[in-house]
Amino acid sequence: MRAGTDLDAELVEKAVSGDRQAFGALVERHYDFVHAVAWRWSGNVSDAEDIAQDVCLRLGAAIRGFRGTSRFRTWLYTLTLNAARDHKRRQVRDHRQMQAYASEQAVAAPHQDPDAERREVLWVAVRELPEKQCDAVLLVYAEGLSHAAAADVLGCSEATISWHVHEARKRLKTLLGKEAV
Amino acid sequence: MSDDFERLSGLTPPMASPEARARALAVAMQAFDAAEENSAATQGSVRPVRQSSIFNRIWSPIMNRKLLAGSALATLLVVPAAAFLTLELTRNGAPFGERAQEIALKEKPAPQPTPKPALPAASPEGDLARVQDETAPGAATDQSVAEQKAQAADQAAAVSEEKFNADEIANLLNRSGVNGAKRKTMESETVAPAAEADAMANSVARSTAPLSAVGGAQPQITYLPAPVTEEKLVAPPENRERFGKADSNPVKSVATEPVSTFSVDVDTASYAFVRRSLMEGQMPERDAVRVEEMVNYFPYDWPRPTSVTEPFKATVTVTPTPWNGGTRLMHVAIKGYDVVPAEAPKANLVFLIDVSGSMDEPDKLPLLKSAFRLLVEKLKPEDTVSIVTYAGNAGTVLEPTGVKDKAKILQAIDSLQPGGSTAGAEGIDAAYALAEKAFVKGGVNRVMLATDGDFNVGPSSDDDLKRLIEEKRNGGIFLSVLGFGRGNYNDALMQTIAQNGNGTAAYIDTLAEAQKTLVEEAGSSPFPIAKDVKLQVEFNPAAIAGYRLIGYETRALKREDFNNDKVDAGDIGSGHSVTAIYEVTPKGSPAVLNDDLRYAEAVKPAAEASPHGGELAFLKIRYKKPDGDKSELITTPVTEANAVPSLAEAPADVRFSVAVAAFGQKLSGVTALNDYTYDAVIDLALASRGADPFGYRSEFVNLVRLAKGLGGSRN
Repeated sequence: MRAGTDLDAELVEKAVSGDRQAFGALVERHYDFVHAVAWRWSGNVSDAEDIAQDVCLRLGAAIRGFRGTSRFRTWLYTLTLNAARDHKRRQVRDHRQMQAYASEQAVAAPHQDPDAERREVLWVAVRELPEKQCDAVLLVYAEGLSHAAAADVLGCSEATISWHVHEARKRLKTLLGKEAV
Repeated sequence: MSDDFERLSGLTPPMASPEARARALAVAMQAFDAAEENSAATQGSVRPVRQSSIFNRIWSPIMNRKLLAGSALATLLVVPAAAFLTLELTRNGAPFGERAQEIALKEKPAPQPTPKPALPAASPEGDLARVQDETAPGAATDQSVAEQKAQAADQAAAVSEEKFNADEIANLLNRSGVNGAKRKTMESETVAPAAEADAMANSVARSTAPLSAVGGAQPQITYLPAPVTEEKLVAPPENRERFGKADSNPVKSVATEPVSTFSVDVDTASYAFVRRSLMEGQMPERDAVRVEEMVNYFPYDWPRPTSVTEPFKATVTVTPTPWNGGTRLMHVAIKGYDVVPAEAPKANLVFLIDVSGSMDEPDKLPLLKSAFRLLVEKLKPEDTVSIVTYAGNAGTVLEPTGVKDKAKILQAIDSLQPGGSTAGAEGIDAAYALAEKAFVKGGVNRVMLATDGDFNVGPSSDDDLKRLIEEKRNGGIFLSVLGFGRGNYNDALMQTIAQNGNGTAAYIDTLAEAQKTLVEEAGSSPFPIAKDVKLQVEFNPAAIAGYRLIGYETRALKREDFNNDKVDAGDIGSGHSVTAIYEVTPKGSPAVLNDDLRYAEAVKPAAEASPHGGELAFLKIRYKKPDGDKSELITTPVTEANAVPSLAEAPADVRFSVAVAAFGQKLSGVTALNDYTYDAVIDLALASRGADPFGYRSEFVNLVRLAKGLGGSRN
């Protein structure tokens, strides 16, 4: 990914000025990244595919207006996070409508591997966090960004990210503590 | 925990299926081409686009945000206009390109206070015109793309159903079958504006090269700032009523926490809410049940103070607990001094009435009108009444008018018409202005807010609102809240408003309730006899092992706040009564939950030898006179002399309030009462019903029966 930064910059610049091929190549190169981020935020493959597709759609419509070549990836993060949030809201809405029809609750099959199960619990708990905290935690820990880079993506200060992570930690402690009993 | 977070990085995301990938790429290209076609219509702008891109790239590291802020702001100002245009255009399905361009051109001459000499090619005007050219048609074509996409997404769901893993099941359930069709339409609706928003946010980036600015601006554009916290947004409640969440008080050990402190509460909103819920055949939401409000709903005939100098009297009764053989109930009843009507000070009441469209229901505005008519009949001729309404904009319906002008007031009440949306902030300003205009020194100055739901504070935040109410309270103007209707009632905010305004929050669902709240209690609630009333109970570790305060979760105070006169607490009006019940575990009882502390042993003999050995607890009440700033203290020791050997021997009012407390706790899911049946509550309440002149207690028994029928498995 680092090696391709220059290539990216070139592709972005071309795509912005309307080069169809360059845009195609750009999306091709970044689809997996978008999909992976979408997967981390949504937690399952089919949702991630939907979100990624959404991002592609938005990319195509908006790329000509993009400025700031070197920060294409930051922009992708922002687009993907927004798409993931929209998706989630839509789901919550659908879910509410669903509930009117069916009262059955989904029961997840128990995991065989205890470690995987613990991780699963953690992931679920993280996704249950308030949006901002969830975003901050995932960007910093799952995506491995620095606090500064995460701040850039979320459009807030570095201190705010640190605070969100701290709050998330506190919250998870109680959440998981309760669940462990 | 940090280890836990590290584990988040351990998971490698699965690869997307090739089909999905191909589909997404196709969609991207389609969107790209769609955008291309539109930009072809405005070919002339293509060259400047490229130039500005170069400019921006060169300048962005050099330019600091200060220089760009102007153009960014200007763009931000026009972007909503563009959004509106776009929306209108897409909705009308008119031929886009030309019209959009025309309108965009008209936008141009708008004054632009922008420092532009540095960037001739990237001038904001050029940008704006282009933004609008592009966004409008772009969004339009997005719609058709979105429809195709929706179909594709449904196929995707079908494909992936074969290979789902455990964690997908929940999501698949959400999307399968029933709402497939709905989903399709919804996606086409939501995707288009979302794409617009992105395009727009991006146009901000155009004039403000640093992308962090996009990050900063985007949340404001993409999501309208929601007045609720994210947590509330994610939770899928069945209705939009919101209640402050508070877990029931836990059992506390006297050894570690011998002191319990809370603020009195004379609100009754929760009971009316529970009643309404049960009447409609629904168990009330647990968060909507506040046991202390249910208990305090009923009038009790506690022993009264005998003179004004003693504003209230506390009566403590200790009885066995009906639902637990091993514990006792310590029942604290406080009765405020009843101001004889002749002494009642002059009142200056301002009604702030929500007349938004949602109030147009029989149980809202019409009910409110009837209730106010009752109240006006009850006021003295020298009292003044004013009315402010708020909806789309706030308006003064009635300037401060003496009650002797009754006809004028009644006419104003009748003229209230529902309509428009809520703009509470201006309303509350206007109401306070009127209250100040007719301010009665030494009298009762109170704003009464009647609403059916969200008190929309407009541009200011809830915190600002609280601050305003606090400030006015210190200036002598109090605020009460009357809640109406159901479905949108924002209980938590109303509670906070009333608590900060030294007022009560009441929920009005029937005319009888309106009568109770407004008329019967007009003689009490609007005439505070003591303010900032706090209770503190210290338990004697020699006699009591543990205790649990029933209710008052939202009213808990810190121990040190008791003596701090700056900490606000509830009011007691004339004739008000407040009841608080503790479930206490005597020392040596089989019901003791906490084991003795091994190392506390050494201290104990000293406690037993103390002169207060025979006491169970020590009750302290701190209050301020309505106009005073310094608090005064009333203390009462609780001894075995306060105890009765069985509940049956306790006064009827005590027994009834215990029944209400039991019911409230059952509704809020307190596990300690799992084995105590609704039938037992009914028996207890029936036996202690007494004279019940207004039928409140019989109604309560009916509610318990209803809950029993609805609760079913929950016994």
